[in-house]
Amino acid sequence: MNYRITISTMLLLTIGLMSPIRGEEITPEQVKFFETKIRPVLIRECYGCHSNESGNVRGGLRLDSRELTHIGGGSGPAVVPGDLEESLLYNAIIHEDFVMPPKRKLPQDVIDDFREWIEMGAPDPRVNETVEVRSSISEEDIDQAKANFWAYQPPIKHSAPSVKNTAWPRSDVDRFVLAKLEEEGLSPTEDAESYKVLRRLCFDLVGLPPTPDQIEHFAERWKSDPDAAVAYVVDRLLEMDQFGERWGRHWLDVVRYAESTGREVNQTYPHAWRYRDFVIDSMNADKPFDQFVQQQIAGDLMPAKTDEEWAENLVATTFLAIGPKNLNEQNRVQFAADLVDEQIDATTRVFLGASVACARCHDHKFDAIPQTDYYALVGIFSNMTTYFGNPPSEYGTITNAQTRQSSSLMVLPVSDPNPYDKRYTAEELQDLRDQMQEKQRELLTVRRGAVGPNDNAATAQRTRLRLLNEMSALSAKLAVVDKNGNPRSYCMGVQERKKPSDARLLVRGEIDQPAQDVARGFPQVLCSVQPEIERDESGRLELARWIGSDDNTLTARVMVNRIWQNLIGRGIVSSADDFGITGQPPSHPELLDHLAVQFVESDWSIKTMVRTIATSRVYRMGTAYDRSSHEADPDNALLWRANPRRLDAEAIRDAMLSISGEIDFERPRGSEVAKAGFTRVTGGVLGNPREKARQAIQEATRSRGTMRRGMQRGRRNSMSEDILRKVTGQLDQEDAKCRSVYLTIVRDEEPRCLSVFDFADSSTIIGTRETSNTANQALYMMNNRFVIQQSEAFADRVIRERKTPNDQLQYAFLLAFGRPPTSSERSAAAAFIREFAPTTSYRSRGEDTINALCQSLFASAEFRYLD
Amino acid sequence: MFSRRHLLQSMSAGFGYLAFAGMCNERAAAEAASTNPLAPKAPHFPARAKRVIFLCMAGGPSHVDTFDYKPQLAKDHGKAGKYGGSLLKSPWEFRQRGESGLWISDIFPNVAKHADDMTLIRSMQCDQPVHPGAMTQMHTGTAQFIRPSLGAWSLYGLGTENESLPGFVSLNPPSGSSRNYGSSFLPAIYSGSKVGRSSRFGRGNSGESVPDIRNPNLSEKQQRKQLDFIQSLNEEKLKRERYQPGIEGMIESYELAFRMQDAMPALMDTSEETQATLDLYGIENSTTESFGKQCLLARRFVEAGVRFVEVTHGNWDQHVNLSVDHKARAEACDQPIAGLLQDLKQRDMLKDTLVIWGGEFGRTPAAQGGDGRNHNNKGYTTWMAGGGVKGGFSYGATDEHGYEAVENKCHIHDWHATILHLLGLDHEQLTYRYAGRDFRLTDVHGNVATDILA
Repeated sequence: MNYRITISTMLLLTIGLMSPIRGEEITPEQVKFFETKIRPVLIRECYGCHSNESGNVRGGLRLDSRELTHIGGGSGPAVVPGDLEESLLYNAIIHEDFVMPPKRKLPQDVIDDFREWIEMGAPDPRVNETVEVRSSISEEDIDQAKANFWAYQPPIKHSAPSVKNTAWPRSDVDRFVLAKLEEEGLSPTEDAESYKVLRRLCFDLVGLPPTPDQIEHFAERWKSDPDAAVAYVVDRLLEMDQFGERWGRHWLDVVRYAESTGREVNQTYPHAWRYRDFVIDSMNADKPFDQFVQQQIAGDLMPAKTDEEWAENLVATTFLAIGPKNLNEQNRVQFAADLVDEQIDATTRVFLGASVACARCHDHKFDAIPQTDYYALVGIFSNMTTYFGNPPSEYGTITNAQTRQSSSLMVLPVSDPNPYDKRYTAEELQDLRDQMQEKQRELLTVRRGAVGPNDNAATAQRTRLRLLNEMSALSAKLAVVDKNGNPRSYCMGVQERKKPSDARLLVRGEIDQPAQDVARGFPQVLCSVQPEIERDESGRLELARWIGSDDNTLTARVMVNRIWQNLIGRGIVSSADDFGITGQPPSHPELLDHLAVQFVESDWSIKTMVRTIATSRVYRMGTAYDRSSHEADPDNALLWRANPRRLDAEAIRDAMLSISGEIDFERPRGSEVAKAGFTRVTGGVLGNPREKARQAIQEATRSRGTMRRGMQRGRRNSMSEDILRKVTGQLDQEDAKCRSVYLTIVRDEEPRCLSVFDFADSSTIIGTRETSNTANQALYMMNNRFVIQQSEAFADRVIRERKTPNDQLQYAFLLAFGRPPTSSERSAAAAFIREFAPTTSYRSRGEDTINALCQSLFASAEFRYLD
Repeated sequence: MFSRRHLLQSMSAGFGYLAFAGMCNERAAAEAASTNPLAPKAPHFPARAKRVIFLCMAGGPSHVDTFDYKPQLAKDHGKAGKYGGSLLKSPWEFRQRGESGLWISDIFPNVAKHADDMTLIRSMQCDQPVHPGAMTQMHTGTAQFIRPSLGAWSLYGLGTENESLPGFVSLNPPSGSSRNYGSSFLPAIYSGSKVGRSSRFGRGNSGESVPDIRNPNLSEKQQRKQLDFIQSLNEEKLKRERYQPGIEGMIESYELAFRMQDAMPALMDTSEETQATLDLYGIENSTTESFGKQCLLARRFVEAGVRFVEVTHGNWDQHVNLSVDHKARAEACDQPIAGLLQDLKQRDMLKDTLVIWGGEFGRTPAAQGGDGRNHNNKGYTTWMAGGGVKGGFSYGATDEHGYEAVENKCHIHDWHATILHLLGLDHEQLTYRYAGRDFRLTDVHGNVATDILA
């Protein structure tokens, strides 16, 4: 009787419905049986590969304790008491579906012992005390934080304060800022000159410098009516497709967008670009931000009227799938826990400015977020499958040796093929299959050989690895086409699993220390009422709706603060991703509230918010230094002047391309990663570097065909440099002319043109980029091939479009700085020309000098700074 | 005395602000320092080491085959290990070395000659049993988050002493390891500059130095003229705007870059080294050529004033073929490392140069497939030499077979605390405020292993 109860309790546990078990009664005989017949075998034969202690957790299976044995590994429970059929441990030792130990079968009497043991209910004294972790954060603590902490209060629409200098403000934004300044006895500095305002507007809204025409028109309008001039330009810029490219990129920083997993096994995400385009399109369409939020968290669960809408919703969930991943992780349970952790971290920090993931291992040290709140979210996120890999082919999923974790993709409900997608004829398909079968045969031979005595194990191992790599590549090719060889359209993202369940709290975040079940829910301190989550739903859709709701105290504030930061150079809350206790309090709390309320009232329109800020007087201020203001407010937190800002990496590159006239505004389909497909990135190369080098040399040899042999040495050297660059510089994309947002971003291999200028680390959530001025940047501007090329094209343009040297100089400055040269700049340039020209060869003197001059303008601080 | 106003007005060149700050209040001085974040800074207390060469052994060299003598392992060869598998005695003999009598195996015959300069830390532990995690923890203290690396913290704490070179150099880092020499939230200037690629250190090359190090078209003279023009525009701008640390920094960065163009290739060019020196590092021998060049470069960098140099050598991950491949790995670096130690000593630099050797973890005493060992993060050995550590000293111990540290455990956090201590930095004081809290390399952990201090 007692024994039946034991079984049913255990069964419930294995399907994860029940709360912790306590030590069951087992008889002394049973203990003896386990200690003499079972435990020694487990230690001797199994722990080597399946134990936390040994550090090896093959197949996610740990046999250290009764509980872990019952939880089992990736394939299911190792032992189900009383049920031989369901006990995979037994299945493995009799060599049915699994073969364990791998190289030999246990003696029959040992196998019989295990059978007997499982049939008697698998009595097992290895019981960990199941603890219930009690939070040190009480309900009162939470209530108190809710009642007192500014960010947890609903934003209130404050009426704009009255100010003394009534002539200055143009809008409420200005009144809020001016009132603070006046309180401190400060006053706003003078407006910036018109060309500076225009340059700001153009870079801030579309990431490009103003054209000479724009400069001229703007200056005209500014003279008669600065307000109208600004309003006109803002409206026009907001309508340009380049707006989405600029503001989409801001969002891509925050959501750690990249096209590969990063870490040791850097595997590509060939379909990540769809998300990039989704973000850009959403910005251009001015999609209501609340909807944009919901799509990314739970697009797969949102109702869609059409297949197109459904496809878009699925692509949006790529947000949850593009985080960095350690595919080399052996332990499946650990991998799953880390994946969910990354998703929780991204979701809470990106949208809420809250670092809930701090509570993974213990109660949050600062915010009122108990560890249980974290596991309440784990319950929501762990009930979904994340798709970030490649679909299995008819041969299953074949991964190379380093890749221990794999995943599939989702098929888009609409067909959206790419020009570079491979199509295969029936013969080609057959050929791929033949190759695959050949490799399978070879692998079998190697494996058989390795079983017997073999004095060349290393060679066999190498062959095995090579074959696995090749098979994985073949499988990846076959997997993405249908049976007729036509490509299918895929995306990354998430899908809900059936039968959602709660998660168990893990003591210190350690996967082998499960404690009590925690009901699914949201961080208590952040919400007024806990959601009703239906038993058969994960709660993710509710979470998305709650985060993207008008009542959420954080979402609108966090986003308007990001917008403000992108335009003003510093957030009202300067810690853009941290609105918690450890974050910075807002410099202008009423203004933040005012903007947040307005944002919601405008139906969450980003463009409206951009317009509000960009047309303010605050935005228009100059950067002039004032000593007494500086002493009173050295960080310029109160905004007595505009913050001088260094242009970011994309703006610098796009501006060079735009000024040289070489920019290509066409949106490229996909990216370099999309073209290369599902592959590992090694040594900065998509795919196998040796293979790539071979191809490049072949190509070069072919194109050399007509050339005579015995080339000059210099020529040959430059050719081999060319080849080398093609191979190792593939991801630097120096020849690309598209906008920077479309450059392929591979983790840890970001293009040099971006990384050198503090590009957002694509492995982390970056709400605020660093702005450094380093020697590497100087070397880049002085010596880089792309910069030199662009300088030459810039010089060509200047020569082409202006005739006299004087006009050319004037024009070059206008293009690069948005204004003509000052008199001292003019004389510096003249001196440079005088000094430099004689050092050049007579034949190319004019050209060389103006090339060097144009490059100098790109390299100067004036070009790099937005004043 | 100059009045503040006078100084402000008299700023005609780009460096005026520095003078201004130097003579005014502390706050301004602090801001000025922020314009040259690489300027040498005083340590928290007198430093025993001024610079670091970190010989990073990727893949996990086996402690029980190199520096952790386990006679009981040999005795129990073939018996069942504590966690399964059968114990495997080392294929290499251990001997006592030098006057100190430290036990070191025959796999490192040349390094062993320097036993009397070395402290073996035989009780290392880290939290990660897999390569990427352990490697990242060794560099940054955590595998879970992206954090600044040890070299970046050192540079942040101390600045650097050569204005023509970056202050933290990582030679030949494996691809995909950028976070291991990155600065994370510390300002980017503290991150390691990646120098060279392993594939190019052999075959008569000294390896590529840094990208874009030379101009394909302009002569030095031409480039100087161009740079003068750029700087005149920059100084003009600074003059217009009066106060702008960013531009000040940019002006400096151009001068450093310009100097680097000479300094870096000159530093990478080892053709002036004597034959004796080249032999010392094993550069003439194809087995040791690649790592020898990197060790020589490391010496040249620290000699030139670089604060922290890391050199990576792999691959030590011998799950199979231990007896052949481990030997080969050791052979490739034994002479170069011994040469480095000797060279530093004869230049009287070993006394204040801390040389660190270690992998991300060790390997199991039990066999894997007969001639291999698995990962072991519970107990392994690293060593240090010079820079204020005891010579001929063994610290801590693992159990009888070498499974786990049992005596004077040195967790990776303790290791970090000790290294910073040797540099004159208190690991609890060396903090950086990021996202609202003060971060440190050792998080909330770390104890200095004071026993190893000379």
